[in-house]
This record gives sequence, structure tokens and C-alpha cells, in this order.
Amino acid sequence: MKRLARRRGASGVAAVLLSSAGWLAAPAQAAAPADQATPPVLQSETAGVTPFPGLTPHELAYSAMDAIAPPGIRIIDGDTAKLVGTVYSSEYANFVWAPDNRTLYVSETYWTMGNRGKREDVLSIYGGPMLQNQGEIALPGRMISDPKTHTFALSPDAHYAYDYSFQPAPSVTVIDLKQRKVLTSVEVPGCGLVFPFGERGFASLCGDGSLAVADTDAKGQYSVHRSKRFFDIMNDPVFDESVVDRKSGVALFISYDGWVHPVHLGDQPRFDKPWSIEEAAGLSAATSQVGQITWRPGGQVLAAYQEATGRLFVTMHEGHPWSSEQGGSQVWVLDVRQHRLLKRFDVPEAATLVAVTQDAQPLLFALSDGWLWVMSADSGAVLRATQVVPPGLVRVRGH
Amino acid sequence: MKRLLVDNFGERLTRRLAGRLSRRSALARLGALLVAAPAFPLLPVQRARAADESKGTDFSREAQANDNTACNYWRYCGIDGNLCACCGGSMHSCPPGSQPSPTSWIGSCINPADQRSYLIAYRDCCGASICNKCACLGTDHAMPIYRPQANNHIIWCIGANTFEYHCSMAVLVGLAE
Repeated sequence: MKRLARRRGASGVAAVLLSSAGWLAAPAQAAAPADQATPPVLQSETAGVTPFPGLTPHELAYSAMDAIAPPGIRIIDGDTAKLVGTVYSSEYANFVWAPDNRTLYVSETYWTMGNRGKREDVLSIYGGPMLQNQGEIALPGRMISDPKTHTFALSPDAHYAYDYSFQPAPSVTVIDLKQRKVLTSVEVPGCGLVFPFGERGFASLCGDGSLAVADTDAKGQYSVHRSKRFFDIMNDPVFDESVVDRKSGVALFISYDGWVHPVHLGDQPRFDKPWSIEEAAGLSAATSQVGQITWRPGGQVLAAYQEATGRLFVTMHEGHPWSSEQGGSQVWVLDVRQHRLLKRFDVPEAATLVAVTQDAQPLLFALSDGWLWVMSADSGAVLRATQVVPPGLVRVRGH
Repeated sequence: MKRLLVDNFGERLTRRLAGRLSRRSALARLGALLVAAPAFPLLPVQRARAADESKGTDFSREAQANDNTACNYWRYCGIDGNLCACCGGSMHSCPPGSQPSPTSWIGSCINPADQRSYLIAYRDCCGASICNKCACLGTDHAMPIYRPQANNHIIWCIGANTFEYHCSMAVLVGLAE
């Protein structure tokens, strides 16, 4: 576009400038015969920005897969499959919406000379009537990795933000969003990611199959302790991408072999008995035995959860053990209360990301490297589709 | 048992570092560690596989030892990214314009030529724009990000003076047995 404008020459540029200032009326038109009705003269326009009323219940915000797609956070209306707006971001960014659904927090990293120079890790704030930048909070560091939903999260009351950092000592940066400042960094040795609970608590998954639990004392100081080991890290680890029921505070950690580990997050976490997605479908449980081809969860953001109905949506594929990143030819819909498979939806091509809206007429978003399919979350019918840049992370209102 | 010892060592090392040092201190010391990296080819961390290697893995059953520009080349069982061998480099040499990261993630892969398991250090080459050729994703016993030593989603340019990802190498460290 810039090259085309330059080729027009100075007169073209001047005309554009005049037009944008509102000085130029409609372009000259060929004279019409007097006996024909003459269309009204087009009115001059003023350039502006389309208002952003907030993320609606049927809108999806998604970031780009790092390094292979132009960065940015794009908002798509599920009712039309059209792009609503885009927010700038760095590569390797994460983002989350405030409960007002108008304020967007972006955790991101820049270098002063692109691929080198001084590094700046920031929490950028976007909002206002037209989703404009509202400033930044400097961060002491971040995790630079392929997209992971749980590297960045808000406390349930949205007073605090938690940002997972790895440099390479793992820690969680706690940010006070009201005061717009970093409060502290909490070291979580041997652990990663952040799953908030309570007023200021959070949990992290640990490399030995346990949880690290961090919470504050009366003076606001954090202490960290480890839970028991609740999954087999070497043979059947749980995915980075798990879901949390925000109302009940129950995290559903899903393992590579399809075991769902419900954990009541808290200072003293409680571990419910794991259940198998495959068994919920009437199949034998998947194992890590070499050569066992069966249905398994897999993908990138491979699970979504609808709180009101307790439905879990998981991208599933037929594959061998450790095929944990293979996209799903189907999305399975599971009742997490009764551990029962409700439906199996086919998707047009392997989906690696899913999201589900939280309203009463829910939409299911399934994404591949190049396509977004908007589906009915109840029937699985593909309602509409649109091309997308290779996606990184997905967020909907309330999740 | 041997594998477990190796694994425990890696975990203890990580925890000790993480527990004792502030992040800035960790970075400073990491720098010192990196200078000495050639002397400690297995550091900073490593993992070993829990599967019964006598049966192979689903990856190794399909792996080959002839073409290192194909994703099923045996060393790529845990790789994620563009193969440096397709970008002007090799399995242990970064393409011109980029630089090797001193840090890496680790996998152990079975060589179909001798059916032995070898430790592979996957090292990213950093600084140049992404190569975008021969994109491969080996997930054989690849671990989640909260077990970073065997995670291929982290941009392993930590310790390099740039985080620009270019490609990934598969450097043979030694026998994993």
C-alpha cells in the first residue's frame, strides 16, 4: 500500500492530505446528461476510529503463532466471522481481558534494536472507548516460549496479575493492577505456569508431578510449599493447557493419555480421583505403551470449558503415545460432573485450538493453522468459517 | 536406575540454582557457566526417558539414519522448529549469520543403525530471522513447559545475546545408556 501511494506522486499525496483534513469535497465526476437524475454529491468525511464497546459474548480474541505469523491480538465476531479489531503486540506475547471486557492486558517483550539491544518486558494496558494503549508496567522478566495460556493470568477479582517468568530460574511476578506496579516475584523452583486462586494465591505445576502452592500471610508475604505428587510426570504428564472452573476453583489437568485430574485449588489443594476421557467414551483407557493407537487428546490449546453446563471440549485424534501435539480430527464434548462423553464433533481439518463461549447460546471455536470454524457448541454444526493467521492463544469473554 | 540418577541430578541442579540465586544473579552465573559450557556438555540439565528402550518408541520405529533434512531422521525425536541442516548449517553447526545458544533442551533418541539410545542436545541458533525451512515437530517423550529441561516450546536462546529464533540443531552428546 505504501508503495502504491508513493507512485501516485506528490499531487496524489496532497489530495489525500486535503481530503483527510475535510477540505476536499467529492472527487470530480463526469458531467451527467441534464435529463438524468443526478445522484447527490458525496459528503466529505472525517477520519476516526470505530468504537469498541467491549468484547461481546460471541467474540473471540486470538494471538498469532510466534515467529511464523504477524504478531497482534485479533478480535473476531463469531456471529459474522468478521474481524472486529486488532491490538498490537510483540512476538511471544500473552494477553487477558479484565472482567469489564474492555480492558486488555498484554504481557510482552521488546528489544530496542529488534533482534538485539536492551530488552524490555512490559505489561501493556489497552482500553477506553477505542481500545487504545493506556500505558505499560515494566516487568522484571518473562518466559519467552511458544504460546501457553497459563503464563499470564489475573486474580479472580482482577486486582492482581501474575506473569510466569523463566530466565532460567522460574518465578511468578505479581503485579498490582490498581497501583500499576510490580509487587514481588515469587520463586517457584522446579515448577512453571500460574493458576490463580483466592485473593492472592496461585499454584504452579511442577516437574516432579506435584503442585507448588503460593499464598500470602497476614503481612502479605508469599510462601511456597509443595503438594503431593498427583500424576506420573515421566510416563503421562499433564498438558500445559488445562482448564479451570473459575466459580468452583477446580482445575482440570488433562494428561497426555487422556486422564483428567480434578484439583481443588487452594492453600491446601484437594485432589479428586482422576477419570479417563477414553473410558468416558466407552473405550479402554489410553496408555503410554509403544504402538497403542487410540483416541488421545492433542494439539495446542486443546481444551475449553463451559462453566454453566460443566462441559469440557477437547481436540482428539487417533494416535500413538506421545503424539501430544497432533491436532484433533474431532472435538469431544464431555460432562465433567458425570465423567461421560456427550458428543463427538467432526472438524473440517485437524484443529489444534478450541474455545467455547460462556453464554446460553454457546459457540465453539475450532482453529487450525489457517482456518477458524465457528460451530454450534450444542450440535457441532459448522455455522461459518474464516481464514486466520496461524493462531497462538485464544480467549473469550470470561475465559 | 542409572536413568533416574541422571534425571534426579538434573532436577537437583535446577532446584539448587533456582532456590539459591536471584534472577539477576542467576543470569550472571549462567554467563560464567556458559563460558565453561564446552567442559560440561551435559549441563545445564538433562532428562532420560522412562520408556522401555528395548522396545523402541513410536518415533524410533519409523526413524531413518540417512537423510538429516527429513523430520524422521533419528536424532529429531524431540526437536521442534526448523532444521539447521536445511538452513545452511548442520546438526551441530549454526548457519552463517546466526549464533548457537549456549543452553539447550535434551532428548534421548534411538539410532536405528545400532539400536542404541543417545543423548541429543537440541540447541537453537539465534539472531537471524527465522529460517522457515524444514519445520519439524518431534514429540517423543517431550515434556511440558513446567519441566523445561525436556521442553521444546521454550525459545532456547537463553544466554545468547539475542532471542531471535532461526533454527534448531540436534547435537549428539553421547550414549544415554
